[in-house]
Amino acid sequence: MDQHTSSEISASAQIGPAPVSVADRIKSIDAIRGFALLGILMMNIPGFGMNWDFWYNIFSGPRSGYDYLTFKGVLVFFEGTMRGLFSMLFGAGMVLFMTNKKQVPGQPSVAIYYYRRLLWLVFFGVINAFVILWFGDILFFYGLFGMILFAFRKTAPKWLLIIGLSLIACAMIQNAWRYSETREKRTNYLEAITAKKEKKKLSEEQQAAIATWQQMAKNEKPDTAMTNERMRKMHSGYTTIFKYFIPQNAQGEAWEAYFGIFDMLSMMFIGMALFGWGFFNNQLSTSTYTMWMLIGYGIGIPFGYFLFNQEFVSFASRAAYVDRWLTNPNAYSEFRRLFITIGHASLIMLIYRLKIAPWLMRALSAVGQMAFTNYLMQSIICTFFFYGYGAGYYGKLYFHQIYYVVAAVWVFQLIFSSIWLRYFRFGPFEWVWRSLTYWKMQPMKL
Amino acid sequence: MNQNPAASPSAVSETDAGRNYSLSVITGFALLGLLITSIWDFGGFTNQLQAFYYANAHKGNYKLFTTVSILLEGKMSTLLAMSFGAGIFLLVQKKASNLSIDGMDAHIRKQIWLIILGLFVGLILLFPNDLLFPFGIVGILLFAFAQLPAKNLFIVAILCCLIYAGKNYWYYADDQSDYKAYVAVKSIEKKIAADSAARSKKLGYDIKKDSASQKAILALKIKADSLVKKKDTLTSKQAGEKAKWEGLVKSLKYDSSKVAKDRKSMQSGYKKMWYYVKDKVQYKESYWLYSIGVWEYASAMLLGMALLAIGFFHRRFASSTYLMLALVFIAIGVAMAFYRIHTTTLRITDYEKFINGYAIPYNQLLPFEKILMATGYASLLIWLLRLNTMSWLMDIFSAVGKMALTNYMIQVIIAAIWFYGYGLGYYGMFEQWELYAAAAEIALVQIVFSVFWLRYYKMGPLEWGLSNLVYQQKTTNKL
Repeated sequence: MDQHTSSEISASAQIGPAPVSVADRIKSIDAIRGFALLGILMMNIPGFGMNWDFWYNIFSGPRSGYDYLTFKGVLVFFEGTMRGLFSMLFGAGMVLFMTNKKQVPGQPSVAIYYYRRLLWLVFFGVINAFVILWFGDILFFYGLFGMILFAFRKTAPKWLLIIGLSLIACAMIQNAWRYSETREKRTNYLEAITAKKEKKKLSEEQQAAIATWQQMAKNEKPDTAMTNERMRKMHSGYTTIFKYFIPQNAQGEAWEAYFGIFDMLSMMFIGMALFGWGFFNNQLSTSTYTMWMLIGYGIGIPFGYFLFNQEFVSFASRAAYVDRWLTNPNAYSEFRRLFITIGHASLIMLIYRLKIAPWLMRALSAVGQMAFTNYLMQSIICTFFFYGYGAGYYGKLYFHQIYYVVAAVWVFQLIFSSIWLRYFRFGPFEWVWRSLTYWKMQPMKL
Repeated sequence: MNQNPAASPSAVSETDAGRNYSLSVITGFALLGLLITSIWDFGGFTNQLQAFYYANAHKGNYKLFTTVSILLEGKMSTLLAMSFGAGIFLLVQKKASNLSIDGMDAHIRKQIWLIILGLFVGLILLFPNDLLFPFGIVGILLFAFAQLPAKNLFIVAILCCLIYAGKNYWYYADDQSDYKAYVAVKSIEKKIAADSAARSKKLGYDIKKDSASQKAILALKIKADSLVKKKDTLTSKQAGEKAKWEGLVKSLKYDSSKVAKDRKSMQSGYKKMWYYVKDKVQYKESYWLYSIGVWEYASAMLLGMALLAIGFFHRRFASSTYLMLALVFIAIGVAMAFYRIHTTTLRITDYEKFINGYAIPYNQLLPFEKILMATGYASLLIWLLRLNTMSWLMDIFSAVGKMALTNYMIQVIIAAIWFYGYGLGYYGMFEQWELYAAAAEIALVQIVFSVFWLRYYKMGPLEWGLSNLVYQQKTTNKL
């Protein structure tokens, strides 16, 4: 693969003994990565700072006001797309890592380093979940799934795309399956209720069917006792929050790695395919990028809007929703996500190549270059801002207000990354990661 | 090792052949041994029934069961993992030479296929204790260690084993704190009972003997009384804590209705059985693998890699060394197993007493027991190989081990069809000893098949298919 011998690469003359020299980085990829990284915070911030009943409050509240509008904007335009974009770039990054390095005789092979690097990433994910206490960590999964990508690094883009789309199909089947189980419960319930009305004697199974559905309906409403308990815990010290998170984060990591594999892996494969076609390194024409932006947004946004409204229908009455749809429309949100993700990526590429906001692109690529540091930094800042052992803002802000925090973190990261990279080769955590991977202190200063 | 340029080619190939032979003997032995305990799961000799033997008179069935548990349970999968780990090391070291795909790629692709086969065994054949899925996953995770020196491999292996043991302790500590909460709730419950008894006594006395005005005064007093204000039921949190511990104790005990339900579900048609087993399979493949399995298998595989690196499988050491290792390791392992069996009995009969009396759980030593005994068995087999005795038996083990994947699938498929509801449905209908007879039957099929197949072909059918898939070229399998 030699697409990335583009003009940007030779722009910088800084070639040192570092594993990946600055010169080898492709700026456009970094810019998109930076964009995705900042965007991820938009999706994560409710997890950091809102009590879980906020869903209920927004869905049952008025369909106007700042909270509602913010919620709508975030869900329609961004939900899943930033993680999707990040996954795509992770796939592309894998190909870059493998093709960038030359085998040094007498040293472990590049492949071994690749796997060591990922194993350390898994380790950092565990730290993020169990020490920094962020339950939505993704590093753990990226480390694991990246290990599968290796076998496909030489596969043709066409096949990568086919694999990625098949994985999306798997995710949809998974979703449809779960929905059909809900529908089955609903059918059993309705049958049992009819029997009850006709004053027939109910069998044990029918009684169970009624109880199951009623329990499901009850579970949709937040339990005040549990909400208060959670509030109290999140405003306590580190030990309490730690004990509270350990079991649920362990469960989360195990189940998500098993059931959530299609979500991330599909986007990684598609990212590898797009990278192979030169999408991320500015190889396509302006009109192609424009076309993909229009297609992506044109299909993705209306569809997203439709799904968003369906969420409200579903929330207002689960029963009506289940009776209305044979298959869950939500299963197709995978497509919405793919299209909007491509729309975002094309938009950034257009801004990049048309040099509309070069200063912003420079700052974004600085953020993207230190993506690992910035990702962990978001966890650190947000946990300290919201959790009880820090400033303790958990559950105290309105939904739209938490986005002020997002904006503040963005500004900070854009400035911090730009300044840091003036003096150093890598972000601080990147440096730790590299040093661990190669088991040798890496040079840091420029 | 084959990368040493100083060694002459013939010497290299000789030791390599020796190494391969010892590895296949060990694999074959482990694979046949594995069946003796996995037949419990296929045939319906479940934990519940085992709990029955633990809790009741320790007669013949108990003795037979514990003997098998002491000698084989968990050791055979550990032994398989050890030889699997050694295989990783060998494959990754393999030079690209005339193949289009080098060892690294081949390794990862092989693991992905194993994972897919494992999913088939778990989610289609419905065997929850499948080994292929975890082996494939851990095989990929351990790739990063494939080129470490032997000393570091030993260190990482021991570290993994310690984490595994630590996890067992962690879960026990959870039980301990559940028990503590239970005791606290129990004392609150007692107090509530005592309080309400006191209150009703007081009220009863007052109402009977006092005049109306006194009654009114007393009523005011009672209102002010803190006893009255107190709630006389447990909060939902307290009730939950109480139920948690009681449920735990109950789940350990033998319950004939559970056994009957399990038997009925496992003997039903495919769809019903699928819904019954699916959760178990998915739990095993996700949470169990995440919390326990990965440490268990990684420690064994890393140990296998380390042993290979120091030439253990090349029969490098003296016969007396192998014999000594075998005796010492097996003796220590059996002692640990005795502790496990003894404490398991206590745990099942009276967990409350156990948790009060023991600082460590029943399975605290299990990780070491498995690893030591597996290494002991491996040493014993290599000792026998060095003595050149019983070569017919070793040839049989080697034949089975050479086509390990094929044989694993054969035993799983035969056992599933024999016992599961979608097949002949003999689940839960055999006595324990009859299950071992069934295992022997299946082993015999495997032995005969392997010996004859390898007279005409180089590799087992699945091994051949897998290697063609992995290397993406068609090779001939005929001898």
